[in-house]
Amino acid sequence: MNTLSIRLMLTSGALLLLALNTASGQTLTDPNEIVARANLASYYAGADGRSEARMIIRDAQGREQRRQFTVLRRNIEAGGDQEFLVVFSQPSDVRNTVFLVKKHAGGDDDRWLYLPGLDLVKRISAGDKRTSFVGAHYYYEDVSGRSPDEDAHVLLETTDEHYVLEHTPRDTSTVEFTTYQTWIDRETFLPMKIEYLDTAGEIFRRVEVLQVEDIDGYPTVTLSRVSDLASGGQTDMQFRYIDYDVGMEETVFTERSLRNPPQQWLQRPER
Amino acid sequence: MIDLVKFTAVALLLGAAPVYAQAPSEPAEEDDPFAAFDDFDDEWQEEGGLTWTGFFESGYGRRLDADPNGLPRQTLGDVRARLETEWAGEALRLTFKGDLLYDDYESEMEAELRELAIQASPRSSVDLKVGRQVLTWGTGDLVFLNDLFPKNWVSFFFGREDDYLKDPSDALRLTWYTNAINVDIVWSPEFEPDNYLTGARASFFSPVAGGIVAPRPPLDARMPDDDIENGELALRLFKTVGSTEYAGYFYRGFFKQPLGSNASLEPSFPQLSVIGASLRRPLGRGLFNAEIAYHDSREDGGGTNPLIPNDQLRLLTGYEFEARPRLTVGLQWYLELTRDYAALVENSPAPSLEPDERRHVLTTRLTYRTAQDRLTYSLFAFYSPTDDDHYVRPSVSYRHSDRWTFTTGASLFSGKRDQTFFGQLEDNSNVYARARYNF
Repeated sequence: MNTLSIRLMLTSGALLLLALNTASGQTLTDPNEIVARANLASYYAGADGRSEARMIIRDAQGREQRRQFTVLRRNIEAGGDQEFLVVFSQPSDVRNTVFLVKKHAGGDDDRWLYLPGLDLVKRISAGDKRTSFVGAHYYYEDVSGRSPDEDAHVLLETTDEHYVLEHTPRDTSTVEFTTYQTWIDRETFLPMKIEYLDTAGEIFRRVEVLQVEDIDGYPTVTLSRVSDLASGGQTDMQFRYIDYDVGMEETVFTERSLRNPPQQWLQRPER
Repeated sequence: MIDLVKFTAVALLLGAAPVYAQAPSEPAEEDDPFAAFDDFDDEWQEEGGLTWTGFFESGYGRRLDADPNGLPRQTLGDVRARLETEWAGEALRLTFKGDLLYDDYESEMEAELRELAIQASPRSSVDLKVGRQVLTWGTGDLVFLNDLFPKNWVSFFFGREDDYLKDPSDALRLTWYTNAINVDIVWSPEFEPDNYLTGARASFFSPVAGGIVAPRPPLDARMPDDDIENGELALRLFKTVGSTEYAGYFYRGFFKQPLGSNASLEPSFPQLSVIGASLRRPLGRGLFNAEIAYHDSREDGGGTNPLIPNDQLRLLTGYEFEARPRLTVGLQWYLELTRDYAALVENSPAPSLEPDERRHVLTTRLTYRTAQDRLTYSLFAFYSPTDDDHYVRPSVSYRHSDRWTFTTGASLFSGKRDQTFFGQLEDNSNVYARARYNF
């Protein structure tokens, strides 16, 4: 056997392996299944997790605002209910402000905000989820997830890297867009780009993933950007010090943590 | 009277340096989002030692009309520096918040300790916080039934930031969490009254004088004797079941304002006990709350003593919802029912000046935020159909940057009669503006 035939064999073997891989990863054709898997990949990695986030919010004039906070999350059911605790550390006027969310997949979320200056536990009414999250161009819904049931999904195209889908809201009164399109990574199922279209069919808002890292085996978005193409503003959000499956108890997500945030989970994991 | 020029100069001096220091940084390279992150004020790595934060703030306020009792036209002239820090060890957390205030109205410099406390968890189910601290509970929005922690009505009426509605308490707070129910116990060894209206900054109705007064020297009510027995005890039992929050409350102490008179007819704080309950839960797209409290005036059980207030039953219900994106609407109905009303009128030296048996108050809160929360418009209104008076608090707040916030607003009081709760404050209607620099 000469060198060339060995090389050919190896190459064809590699090609075969690649083909098998794709087959085992399958090319999905059901848009609902793709969206369900994207939802799990984006918002439900691990049984629980902690992460530190910071955002730079830029308006059209280039003026910047910053936010820094730690997010603790616990899944009650994969793809279903979740609990979040968000503890702000910057800027100084929101330092020690704590936000507690009990996300109900089938209904309105329960939300509380702790204002340390008044020692006030304020409950927030279930509101429009498509409003600014703490002054950023991100919406509450971008941060905690939009229920897959709220849209009708169509698979437009399957490229080498992405599933390209179009989503049309079932209830147009609660959203500011007509449709949106997502580019979902075929391997990780993370939506790498989302573009929102207005009634004229123009893209006016874009969410992009700029960096994905493997954390404890979970592909995790560590840098993303949302651009408001209508106003020219944008927000970059970065996640670091991420840990999954750390064993957070149910009691972390109670009124106690608003007044006395759980230091055990706020401290950075040692690496 | 104020020296506006001097005041503005101080405010500008305080503000000017940071403005220049804050000259906008170069926008980051479009394709390198990290570039901007790298000059984040404090690195991801927390530095050792203490982090100091705080703000400088100046505020100026003016009465809309000249006060017939001769109070100055100026109502607010604050230049304030705030420092905050905290230290967390293995088992302890120490917190500090202190203000240095130059109060141009009083022409004096004041150091005010807002918080100096130690927090610990002596057992896994117990949180302890000892020292000076701000305390709040209950479900009312600017209406307090079971929250008898000290409030600063002077700050509230004359345009200081909302946080200053609450005065700190020197207290021991123990919170015990169990599966059945959670228990909050707050003990203040020394009675701490509200910062009430004395006539120094606000004129008010005096039943003795039969009209609006601004006494000189200002009212200085007789405090309860300095005795360990004369502390305050506040208790809350609370539990959240599903989405519904339940709480029961108890308080033993004194009326927080000098609503009584002692034997020598000096204004005083009569003994008070309060028992109550509340619930808060989602309803439809909004939040519903209900609260009840019985105020037991312990020195006047039968309501026959004209120098001591009668018992009261207080009821509150409220509903808050987002009417449109970024527009929140809050509505409350509040009732004070004075007990033994016949005895009160029978024994009153001036029955016509006594409040009605039932005092109803309706409140509305409208809050509208613009897209990135830069501008916040707020309108809070109290209206009493029984007293025929109202208090309206409009304000606009502009968050220019993480550093600068500008706020302007007004406190507008009006009423048909001098002796009603808000009507007596008519001459104190004022407008204010504040600038705050956070660091």
